[in-house]
Amino acid sequence: MSIQVLRIAALFYAVAAILYVLYFARPRHAALATAGKWILGAAFVVHGASIGLGCKEYGGMEFFSLRGGIVTIAWLAAGFYLFLQRLYRIPTVGAFVVPLVLVVIAPTLLLSSPNLPASVPEGLRRPVLTLHIVTALGGVAVFCLAFVVAVMYLLQEREVKGKRFGALFSRLPSLDSLDQLNQRLVRAGFVVFTVALVLGAFMAHAVWKSAWEWDPQQVSSLVIWGLYGTMVQLRHTGWHGRRYAALTIVGFLLVIGSMVTLNVIPGATRHGGTYQ
Amino acid sequence: MTGKPEFFLVGLSHKSAPVAVREKVALSGDDLRDALVGLRQLEGVAEAMVVSTCNRVEVYVYADATQPGRRFFLDRAADAEGHLYERSGREAVRHLFRVAASLDSMVVGEPQILGQVKEAYGVASAAESAGTFISRLCNRAFATAKRVRSETDIAKGAGSVSQVAVELVEKIFGDLKGRAVALVGAGKMGALSAKALRDLGADRLLVTNRSPERARALAAEVGGTPEPWESLNGLLAHADVVIVSTGAPTYVVTRELATQAMKARRGRSICFIDLAVPRNVDPALSDLENVYAYDIDDLQKVVAQTHKARAEEAIRAEAIVEAEVMAFSREREARAALPVLAALRRRAEEIARAEAERTLAHVGGLLDEKGRKSVEAMAQAIVNKLLHGPTARLKEAAASGDSDLPGAAAALFGVEVQTQERARGQAPEAASAPEPQR
Repeated sequence: MSIQVLRIAALFYAVAAILYVLYFARPRHAALATAGKWILGAAFVVHGASIGLGCKEYGGMEFFSLRGGIVTIAWLAAGFYLFLQRLYRIPTVGAFVVPLVLVVIAPTLLLSSPNLPASVPEGLRRPVLTLHIVTALGGVAVFCLAFVVAVMYLLQEREVKGKRFGALFSRLPSLDSLDQLNQRLVRAGFVVFTVALVLGAFMAHAVWKSAWEWDPQQVSSLVIWGLYGTMVQLRHTGWHGRRYAALTIVGFLLVIGSMVTLNVIPGATRHGGTYQ
Repeated sequence: MTGKPEFFLVGLSHKSAPVAVREKVALSGDDLRDALVGLRQLEGVAEAMVVSTCNRVEVYVYADATQPGRRFFLDRAADAEGHLYERSGREAVRHLFRVAASLDSMVVGEPQILGQVKEAYGVASAAESAGTFISRLCNRAFATAKRVRSETDIAKGAGSVSQVAVELVEKIFGDLKGRAVALVGAGKMGALSAKALRDLGADRLLVTNRSPERARALAAEVGGTPEPWESLNGLLAHADVVIVSTGAPTYVVTRELATQAMKARRGRSICFIDLAVPRNVDPALSDLENVYAYDIDDLQKVVAQTHKARAEEAIRAEAIVEAEVMAFSREREARAALPVLAALRRRAEEIARAEAERTLAHVGGLLDEKGRKSVEAMAQAIVNKLLHGPTARLKEAAASGDSDLPGAAAALFGVEVQTQERARGQAPEAASAPEPQR
């Protein structure tokens, strides 16, 4: 059931993506961006309903699978972008974010049911777990937006520096605004991710009797946390622009890479599922 | 006044006359108002409007002849004769539409001209020299310009070097608030660009020159602060945009200087715009991170691209103008047929009423109230039935541009027609005019 609803959401995402891309191609038609925003809003609501249905269907277990994680990250990223649009005038970003969301959830549409762990240890069934999941996925979703903005920065930098004043040059936002937005997103994502990490340590203590177990999930999370933390710090020493954008991209690739690897290799981590 | 007035244009522009002639006839403010009043008082002139900008002076009159327009110029500059161009009727309408749509401008697509034409119309309205014809014409011209602007890309891109500079800076820094701009050297284009950036909201404008007096004078001119030449180093540490246009034969901003500046700036982005020939900014420094450097060739290339793109868009714009000119002419002709129709109907109704009265005077006593009403209604019905065909055909003829039929109808039915468009301020035909077919 939740999959069918997700397919409807994907349809909305596809329409919104087309509208945003068309707007990017023809910036004179501002109505395209407005329509894109509303359709994206609809997609977000339907997507949310699908996740809610999934919770009922699988008893919340889907969040322990890669599929559940990715679907939720995509949902949060779409939501954050909708929220950001209220703060900044960045309709061109939609032409990058929405297609990415669509690409991310597309493979999950083919699976009929997620590959779920059998059960969760009793000691973990606490509200802290929910908060841990929400903050971890939320942090990744914000990093995802930062990644998109960083890619846009590099594209625009290439235009500006290379004196190629073509179609991209006139359509992409200014370097400064992309840089600022990237920095704010990295900072916000870092804060949220930190909360997730602290809660994770609490739970590790609950199931493993020790907050630090050298589990690969813990190690990779700490590396990622350190990287983004360094970026937040580097900002104060004047780091910005191209190098900062490149670092943001590396950070996000690391996040997605470790997430996929740890979930695909069986037994790579005791994180998620039975914790044994 | 004799005959039917026509729309005439007499003018000169950057295409036909040198600035020495243009400046002699250019008008503004009260002079312009007085000139309009003067034109209006001339024999045979019903309406008048003067568009006067630094690139063109054009006199539009709705009059019996083109002579008043010519006199306007010859009274002011005897040597204008050879530079004048004249248009009449549809040609004059097309010219005004093209001017308003910025198709006749020196830089095609530049945005100021529409405002200038609007202002000219405003002045003419205030001076009561613009009547129904010019009002209708101008509204159509403004609508045409708006269509051209929104349906083509004619106004897109940067049309001049300083505009390109501004666009570049905007793409690097976005908002210029809180940013400082340095102007190094006294080149004219540099001052223009610096001014443009200042208008965009740049906080500080620092001006430096090898000669302190020149720096002070330039600073006063562009509204900046003069800085000593020796502090160029410090200037680069503060300014985010550096416009360089000195007469120096070598690089004024070297790679070392820029490297030092970047250290002092802690990596904050900086943009150099080198407008000097020979170049004053070492092109090699654009390899440095967060340093952006452009020379005059880069900027001029963009300007050339814009002009090329605009020339292509102009073809589409001309088609829009042509369609609007046609539509305007059709409307005008449709209106021209209306006075004949009105006169015809007035005449027929007079006859019907008179005949009904006569009949009622004879036999009215034999009829009750209902019967008398019937007689009047019958007379009216005959008029309506008889005129139905001619009315439809006259409207049709007018819409398709045939102006002979209304005249023939007037002659055939023996009705007198005064041209309504002559009668200014008489709350014209518009009230009863049907929406002309487009």
